[in-house]
Amino acid sequence: MYKTSWGSTLMTIILSLALGAGAILLLGYDPIEAYYQLFRGAFVGKFNIGGVMERFVPLMLTALAFAVSAKVAVFNVGVEGELYLGAIAAAWAGYAFTGLHPLVHIPLCFAVAMVASGAWGAIPGALKAYWKVNEVCVTILMNYVAIYFTSYLVGNPFSARASIPRTPTIEESARLLRILRPSRANIGLFVALGVLVLVWWMLYHTNWGYKLRHVGQNPFFSEYVGIPPKKVMIWGMILSGAIGGLAGAIEVMGIHGHFLDNFSPGIAFDGMLASLIAKNDIRMVPVLSLFLAVLKTGALGMERFTGVPKTLIDTIIAVFILLAAMEGLFAYSRRRSARSSGEEAA
Amino acid sequence: MSRILIEMKGICKEFPGVKAVQDGLFSLEEGEIHSLIGENGAGKSTLMKVLYGMYVPEEGSIAVKGETYPSLTPKQAIGLGIGMVHQEFMLVREMTVLENIILGFEPRRGGRIDRRAALEKIEYYADTYGLRVHPDKKVEEISVGEAQRVEIIKTLYRGAEILVLDEPTAVLTPQEAEQLFCILRSMKEGGKSIVFISHKLQEVLAISDRITVMRGGKHIATVAGSSTSAPELARLMVGREVFLGGSPVPAAKGDVALSVENIFVPGEKELSKLRGVSFSVRKGEILGIAGVNGNGQSELAEAIAGLRQVQRGRVVLGGAEVQNMPPRRIREHGLSHIPEDRNQRGLDRFSDVKENLAACSVSEPPLSSLGVIRWGKVREFAEGLIRSYDIRPAGADIEASGLSGGNAQKVVVAREVSRKAEVLLASQPTRGVDIGSIETIRNELNRAKEAGAAVVLISSDLEEILSLSDRIAVMFEGRITGEVDSSEADEEKLGLLMTGGGTHV
Repeated sequence: MYKTSWGSTLMTIILSLALGAGAILLLGYDPIEAYYQLFRGAFVGKFNIGGVMERFVPLMLTALAFAVSAKVAVFNVGVEGELYLGAIAAAWAGYAFTGLHPLVHIPLCFAVAMVASGAWGAIPGALKAYWKVNEVCVTILMNYVAIYFTSYLVGNPFSARASIPRTPTIEESARLLRILRPSRANIGLFVALGVLVLVWWMLYHTNWGYKLRHVGQNPFFSEYVGIPPKKVMIWGMILSGAIGGLAGAIEVMGIHGHFLDNFSPGIAFDGMLASLIAKNDIRMVPVLSLFLAVLKTGALGMERFTGVPKTLIDTIIAVFILLAAMEGLFAYSRRRSARSSGEEAA
Repeated sequence: MSRILIEMKGICKEFPGVKAVQDGLFSLEEGEIHSLIGENGAGKSTLMKVLYGMYVPEEGSIAVKGETYPSLTPKQAIGLGIGMVHQEFMLVREMTVLENIILGFEPRRGGRIDRRAALEKIEYYADTYGLRVHPDKKVEEISVGEAQRVEIIKTLYRGAEILVLDEPTAVLTPQEAEQLFCILRSMKEGGKSIVFISHKLQEVLAISDRITVMRGGKHIATVAGSSTSAPELARLMVGREVFLGGSPVPAAKGDVALSVENIFVPGEKELSKLRGVSFSVRKGEILGIAGVNGNGQSELAEAIAGLRQVQRGRVVLGGAEVQNMPPRRIREHGLSHIPEDRNQRGLDRFSDVKENLAACSVSEPPLSSLGVIRWGKVREFAEGLIRSYDIRPAGADIEASGLSGGNAQKVVVAREVSRKAEVLLASQPTRGVDIGSIETIRNELNRAKEAGAAVVLISSDLEEILSLSDRIAVMFEGRITGEVDSSEADEEKLGLLMTGGGTHV
């Protein structure tokens, strides 16, 4: 339950980049040149900036989905499945309804996606709340179910009968407006940021959020002061699922224009990492998601211009996670010593 | 005059931000029981941990048997014959009693552990001092009282001549505590010297040869046990006159506000199942429920508050049957509840004080409107309660886990009492709380009663029951064995009921 601080996060970022520089040196490349190309590849030109945003949106939303479930003390590994279900639901609503105004069609697609994956998220939530079934096992397995189910749908009832397994292209009215052309970034970015602010506000400024947070922190206390912990836990999972579904919907409606079988290379797992590094602190989620998005996007440019393999970036991310985890460890031991000395004094 | 074994002088120990002990002074004579008392945070445990070598003091000297040291290590301390029984037992739950006792000091024969030698030695201690234990049981299977005896044997086994017991009775029932005192007395007779840390005055008076009082990290006084009294000790501990005890305050009684009718409730253990409990409480009266812990009191409180299933029977609150309703609905019918376990139930330790204080009223105006919390109002509300209940340190943004036991309990009491509900259910409201806070909390219960609330006070502290209750019901093995008016009640009568004696009379 420790809080993150901006300063320590920045220090962790710098330190992991420094260790990465060491690794680049060992490989026989010039780290300054490599980082220069990395940041050029992420920040110079509309295409590159747009590329960062493209990656940022689903990362941030899936991270947020994970963080929300963590608030009700559920370790939700199932965001990937929710992403898939949301994506296919949005794709279906995108091509099946025709002749709608974009202002109706886009919210409709979002709604269908969020309902589908919200309901999906409720299943592990209810299993944990009422029968104490371990949510990690359930959500991992449910990912397979969700992904294979979308594979079936895209191959059969929802198939576009094209050479690759995908759904028909969605109506123009369900498309999210592109920004920063020629990249595929789109106004989904603003939707995502809006959702982030809204979720944060709900958690910290409404009664509903108050219940959610307390159920996660201490279900016994919550029950005693009159909050039904089981129901609230399920609602938290529904919200988490809905956010995951929204991420999938934005991928379909903003980037691909259809649902493509196996379209996600584990986006939600990167999102989970971002949230874990942020210690599930909603305010840090966008910062760390952006950081990961920048590294992943810039890595392409770095590889192209300097020859440093882009997989090195995964090493840097791994180092970063290690450092962030260690920071947590330090904070924890500080707390412990502070607490034990506090008890002496108390 | 017997030999002085320990002489601690000028001990200073600081923790970040706190001077835990300043100019600490303590001496121990051979063959005495010397109590060290003070409120939570007075520095008692810290001083003794300096003696045992767990802390290195910034200043001061420790003389043991004539040799002076600036500080000790635990190894040195054990070598000098000092043993400490900590508040939290340091036993391996999965191992047997015997294994725990000899751990690290195993008697060997050849390459193997000499079980028989170990057993003989344990039996010797058991016979000499009345330390009855089951050597072959696993620690997780034995009672708290027995675990404590194991701890004591463990320290004796390691050659301790000087025993430091850190709040040993905090975890014991009255009967177990009485047993412990017999053990301590016979150990004293056997020539051992004992340091007894506590904040329960009656116990201290019962067994001490000398008593040292600490307050705010400083040595206040050392007095002879025979020449002092509870009020004097309380005054030394708190630094002002304290009014505990006394007798129930008269107040006008009204209608029945809560009645429990023949309820049956499943329990944690066989003995704590409720088997047909009935009672009723009127407005403006305190009904005390006495009994040894584990006879169904916890289950009773949880059943009334909706936290535990009622299998049969009725709970009538404010004219409505509320058994098995969700806790929220029961609260709406007029129940406030101070739970016995403040750390799990009573508080969300990882939230700040204002969120804890506002937990029951945050969803209603004026603290929120249309589902949106108005943090400004919540802060005002919390600061008001912090002031009127004297919660220290006075900060609405402090995490609840940072409060001392007494102040944490005041947060719970403030939240529950300030709602002015018709029925106040207080379960062990002063357990593990310092004496100053006990006084505040007891006054609040009386004030609630005078304001017309029906109060149910569940407590295993007889003195508390006797000094607050208008009527007293006693629980034993899940039943109420008797109900007496406070004017006719005394410890003897209640003690008989507490062991089930009343049912056969």
